[in-house]
Amino acid sequence: MPLIVITPLTAFVIAITSVRTRRSSANLAMFGVVVTLALTLLAGWGLAKTKTPFLHAYQYINMPVAFSGPVNFQSFAVDIVLRVDHITVAALVAIELCMLGVLGWHQVMGRSEPGPARFHALISLLLFACVAALVSWDLAELFAFWGLAGAVTYLLLAHRWGSDEAAIRARVALALPFVTDLSLLCGIAWLYSRYGLQNLTTLVPILHTNPGWTERSLVVAAILLFIGVAGRLALWPLHSWLTRNAVTAPPAALALVQAVWSVIAIVVLYRLMPIIAASNAQTVKALLYACGVTAIVAPLLALVGNEPRRIITLLGVGATAVGAAVVIHGFRVPNATFAIAGVACVLAIAPARAAGVLVVSAIASAMRTDNMAEMGEAWTRMRVSAIALLISVVVLALGASGALAFGVSSRSLLGLALGEALLLVSIGGVRVFLTIALSPLRRRRTFEPDRVREAPQASLTWLFLLGVGGLAIFVASLVPAWLRFLDGNRHPTPSVGAYVLWVLVALIGFAAIGIAYFRNREGALRAAALAGAWFARLGYASSRGFARFIVAPATEIAVRIGDRWIPAGDAGVGSALETTGRFAVAGTRLPVLPIVVALAVVLTLAVGLASPGVFK
Amino acid sequence: MMWLGIAGLALPSPSPAAVPGANIFSSPLLLSVLVWVPVIMAVAIAILPNPRGRFDVLMKQIAFFTNVGLVFVLWIAYNQFESFLSTPQFAENQPWLAAIGASYHLGVDGPGMTMLLLSGLIGIVSVLASLGIRERVRSYFCLLLLAQASINGAIVARDMFVLILFWTASAVPLALLILGWGGPRRNAAAWRLVGYWGLGTGALVIATMTLYFVTGGTSFDMDVLLKATNISPRVQVIVGLLLIVAAATRLPLFPFHGWARDLYAEAPIGVTVVVAGSATRLGAYLLLRGLVAAEPAAAQVLAPLMAALAALTVGYAAVAALRMADIRHSGGYLAMIPGGVTVLGLAALSPLSIAGAVLSLFAGGLAAALIVGVCATLAERAQSRSLLVLGGLAPRMPILTWLLIIGGLAVLGVPLLATFPALLMTFFGSFKNQPIGAFAVAAGLAVAAVAIAMLLRRVLFGVPNPDAPGVSDASLGESWYLGLLAGALLWIGIFPTGPKLPGTDAPIFDPGLIKTMSAGVSEMASPYVMATPTPGATK
Repeated sequence: MPLIVITPLTAFVIAITSVRTRRSSANLAMFGVVVTLALTLLAGWGLAKTKTPFLHAYQYINMPVAFSGPVNFQSFAVDIVLRVDHITVAALVAIELCMLGVLGWHQVMGRSEPGPARFHALISLLLFACVAALVSWDLAELFAFWGLAGAVTYLLLAHRWGSDEAAIRARVALALPFVTDLSLLCGIAWLYSRYGLQNLTTLVPILHTNPGWTERSLVVAAILLFIGVAGRLALWPLHSWLTRNAVTAPPAALALVQAVWSVIAIVVLYRLMPIIAASNAQTVKALLYACGVTAIVAPLLALVGNEPRRIITLLGVGATAVGAAVVIHGFRVPNATFAIAGVACVLAIAPARAAGVLVVSAIASAMRTDNMAEMGEAWTRMRVSAIALLISVVVLALGASGALAFGVSSRSLLGLALGEALLLVSIGGVRVFLTIALSPLRRRRTFEPDRVREAPQASLTWLFLLGVGGLAIFVASLVPAWLRFLDGNRHPTPSVGAYVLWVLVALIGFAAIGIAYFRNREGALRAAALAGAWFARLGYASSRGFARFIVAPATEIAVRIGDRWIPAGDAGVGSALETTGRFAVAGTRLPVLPIVVALAVVLTLAVGLASPGVFK
Repeated sequence: MMWLGIAGLALPSPSPAAVPGANIFSSPLLLSVLVWVPVIMAVAIAILPNPRGRFDVLMKQIAFFTNVGLVFVLWIAYNQFESFLSTPQFAENQPWLAAIGASYHLGVDGPGMTMLLLSGLIGIVSVLASLGIRERVRSYFCLLLLAQASINGAIVARDMFVLILFWTASAVPLALLILGWGGPRRNAAAWRLVGYWGLGTGALVIATMTLYFVTGGTSFDMDVLLKATNISPRVQVIVGLLLIVAAATRLPLFPFHGWARDLYAEAPIGVTVVVAGSATRLGAYLLLRGLVAAEPAAAQVLAPLMAALAALTVGYAAVAALRMADIRHSGGYLAMIPGGVTVLGLAALSPLSIAGAVLSLFAGGLAAALIVGVCATLAERAQSRSLLVLGGLAPRMPILTWLLIIGGLAVLGVPLLATFPALLMTFFGSFKNQPIGAFAVAAGLAVAAVAIAMLLRRVLFGVPNPDAPGVSDASLGESWYLGLLAGALLWIGIFPTGPKLPGTDAPIFDPGLIKTMSAGVSEMASPYVMATPTPGATK
C-alpha cells in the first residue's frame, strides 16, 4: 500500500535526476500515473473483500515535550498515517483518470509549451502530493502534503517563465491559496491546542468529551478549517487563483489543478465534517449558505464575459459548490447519510472540468482567439471536439442532480437555491457549446475560417476518455449501490420523481439558453461581453483601490521607517554622540579650579533646594 | 589529554554503543576545540607570509579545512550526544577570575548542540561563499574565522561573563569585514551594526550585572545567576526587558532592525551568510536561555510584548519587502521573518512552542542564510541589484532560479523543508496562549507569500529586460554553498528524526535533530506546563 505513495515520488526523482527530453519526460510521467492507477485498482480490489480500510503508520516526528500536565500534551507526534478506504480509492481513481487524460492530451497539444521536463516532473510531484494528501489521516500530515501540492500548483500555473503576463497573474495563485492554507493550518493548530491530538480517528470521538472543550473553540476551528478547504475548492470569492490564470497558464496545468483540487478538497471536507458539525448548528448553517451563495454566484459570473476557459472554470466551481453544499447539508440533517452523494457528484464533475478546459483550449487555439464571440462553426469544422465539449458541459450541468436527488428537498429554501445554481450551470455550459459549435465563424484580420482544422485524433481520444469517464461516474452517482460502496452505509433510493425533477431543472436550463441563442445570439453575446467588460473594470477599480488605500500606505510606512526615520534617528544619535564627544574633549582643555568651584556651588544649591530644612 | 582523545585512544564514551559514531573518540576539551581552533588557525593565517598574494589559495584552503574539521568533530559530538540528559554535556569548568566569580565554563544541552550544528554548517558555507574574495585574502579569512570562533563561544558559554565577552567580540570582526570588503554603503552598514549591537550588548551587560548583584555578587555562572530563586518578580521583569532589547538588536526584531537592511545589502556574501545564519540566531538563543528558561515570572509578564514584537517583525518585514527595488534589500527583509516565528514560539510559553522555537533556530537560520545568499549571488551574477532592471532570468539562470524558489518557500515554511516542522510546532503550541499573536504572525506570513510571489515574478519570470547586463548562472562554488543550505533544509524537513533502518528504530548516521534538540527543552518548559483542565464543558 505504501507503493501507491512511493511510485509517483519515484517518478519525480527519476524525472529530476536523469530525464531531459520531452518524449521521455512525458512517458515517464504517464508511466508513473499508470502504475499508480494499477496499484489503486489493486487496493480497491482488496477493499472489495473487506470493510476495514488498509492502514499503515510511520513515524515522522515523535518527541517528549513535558513530563506533567494533560497526557495528550506530554509528547508531540506527527505520524505518516496511510489509510486507504473506499472513498480514497474512488478519489484516487478520479484523480489518476484526470492526470492520464491531461498528460495524454498535453503530449499531443502541448508541444509548444516550454520546459517539458520541468512540467512533467511537477506533474509527478503533484500526483505524489495528491495521493499522500488523500491517504493522510493525521491532520498535520495532511497539511504537509496539502501545502506541498499547493506549492507545486503554483509552479505549474506559473509554468510559462518567459511570459510577463503569466508571471503577473500567477502570483495570485501563490498568495491567495497560501492565505487559505494558512487558515487551514491555524484551524489544525487551534484544534491541537485544545485537544492535543491530530489523528482523526482519535480526535473525533472526544470532541465533546475532552476536558475543557468549549463550543467557541469548535466554532473557531470549524470556520478556519472551512476557509482552508474553501480556498482550494475555489469557492467564491476565493476563486480568482483559478480564473485569473485561465488564459495564461498552460491548458493542461489549468485543467489538472482544478480537477484534482476539487477532488482532494471535497474528500477532506467530508472527513472534517464531523469536526465542523460538532461546533453548532448556526455555524454549519452559515457554511452551508456560503456554499449556496458560491453555487449561484459562480455560474452567474460565468454568464458575463466571453472567455471560454474562464467560463468553464467558473461553471465547475459552481457545480462543485453544489456538491459541497450537499456534503454539509448531509451532516446537518440528523441521522442522514446522503453527504457522500456530494462527494460522488464532485468525483463525476472533476474529469468533465478537465475535459471542458482542454477542449475549449484546443478550439481557441484552432480559431486563434480567446473570445467566444469570435468562435463558431465548431460543429462543422471540429465536430469531434464539439461532441467532446458537449459531453463535458452536459456532465457539468447534470453532475449535481444526483446529489440533489438523494438529499435535498425541492420544496426547501436550500433546494430552491441549489436548483437555481443547477439551472445557471446548465445555462452557462450549453451557452458555451452553442456559441462555439453553432455560431457563424467570421473572417478576421489574419484569420481565415477555412484554415480551421480538427484537433489531432490522438488528443481527442484523451478528451473522450475524460468526458466519458465523468459521465460514467455521474451515472454511478445516481445509484445507491455506488454510494454504499463509498461509505459503507445503506442509502435509500430516491424516488423517480426526484431524479426527474433535478434533471429537468438542468434540461430547462438547456432549453432556456437554446431559445435565447436562437432568438438573439448576437444580442446575448454582446450583453455578455459588455457585462464582462464592466466586471473587469470593476475588478480593476477595486484592485486599484486596494492598492491605493491599503497596500500603498502600508508599504509607504515601511519604506519611511527604513529609508527616512531610521537613518534620521541614527543621524540624530550620531550627532548627539558627536556633540557630547566635543563637549568631553572641550572639557579637558578648560582650567580645572574654576570648574570645581562652580560645580561645588551648583551642587550645594541643588542639594539645598531639594532637601528642605538643610539651610536652617 | 585532549590529544590522547583526538588520537583515538580509548577513553570512556558516554554514548550508548548502538549510535553510529559512538566510541570513536571522546575529549574533555571538545567545546574548547570548537572555540579556539578557529582562533589558532586565524592567527596562523595572520602570521603566514603571503608575498604578493602567492598563498591566497592556501589561506582559503586553511579556512575551509578548518571548518570541515570542526564539522567533523561536531558530527561525532552530535552522534555521541545523550538526548535523554537535560543537563549540559561536554562540560568544561575551570576557575578563571576568582575575584569576581568568573569561570571558564562551557557546556551544551540540546538547544546548544542544535546551534553548534548550525554554526558549523554556516561556517563551511561562508567560506565557500567567500572563495571569490581577491583582495587582502589573509585579513578576510582571519577575521571570518574569528567571527565564527566568537559565535561558537557565545553558544557554548555557561558563564555570563564569558558569554558577554564572546557576544561583544562577535561584532568586531563582522564590522571590520563589512568596512573592508563591503559595498558602496559599507560605512553606514558597519556603523549601524556596531551601534545597534552595541546597544544590545549594553543591555545585556546591565541585565547581567543586575542579576550578579541581586544574587550576592559571587559568581557569573549561569547555574547561579539564571537559576536563582530569590529574585523578585520586579527585578525579573527589568532583567527580562533588558534581555529582550539585547535579543531584539541581534535577531533583529522591529523596531531594532535598522542595521539589517544595509548590512545584508552591503556586506560580502560570506559575511551576510554568517550574520543571517548564525550570528543573529544568538538573539533568540539568549531569550531562550536567559528569559524563558531562567525567569518564568518575567517571561509570563513579557510574553505579550514578545508576541507583539514577533508579529510586528514578520508583518513589517513582509510589507517592506513588497516595496523594495533592490533585490538584496528584499532578501534582507525576508531573512527577518524566521526570527519573528522563533520569537513567537518563545512568547507562547508552551512546551511544544518552545521546542518549535528551538527547531526554528536551526531551520530559520538556514532559511535566512539561503535567501540572503541567493539574492546576493543572483545580484552579482546578473550584474545588477535593481528589480527594475532584473527580469526573466529563469531560463538563463536555472540553478539560481530553483535555489531562490527553495529559499522563498523555506521562509514561508512549506512542507518538505526544515522550516515546516518548526512552523508546525510553533503554531500548534502558540494558539493556546498567544492566539492573537499567532494569527498576526500567520497574517504576516500571508503578506510574505505575496512579497515572495512578487519577487519571483519580477526577477525570474516574465520577459527578459533587453537593457539588462549580461547574466550567468551560479558557478560550481556558488552552487555548492547554496546547495548545502538547501540540502540541509530538505534533509531535516524530510528526516527530522533522522533516517532509520527499515522496520527498526536504529538510526542511520543521523540520530535525528529533533531528538537531540529536545534534550533540556522539557526542563526549560516545565514551569509552563498547563494544568489539567477539569471535565465538563464551558459555553
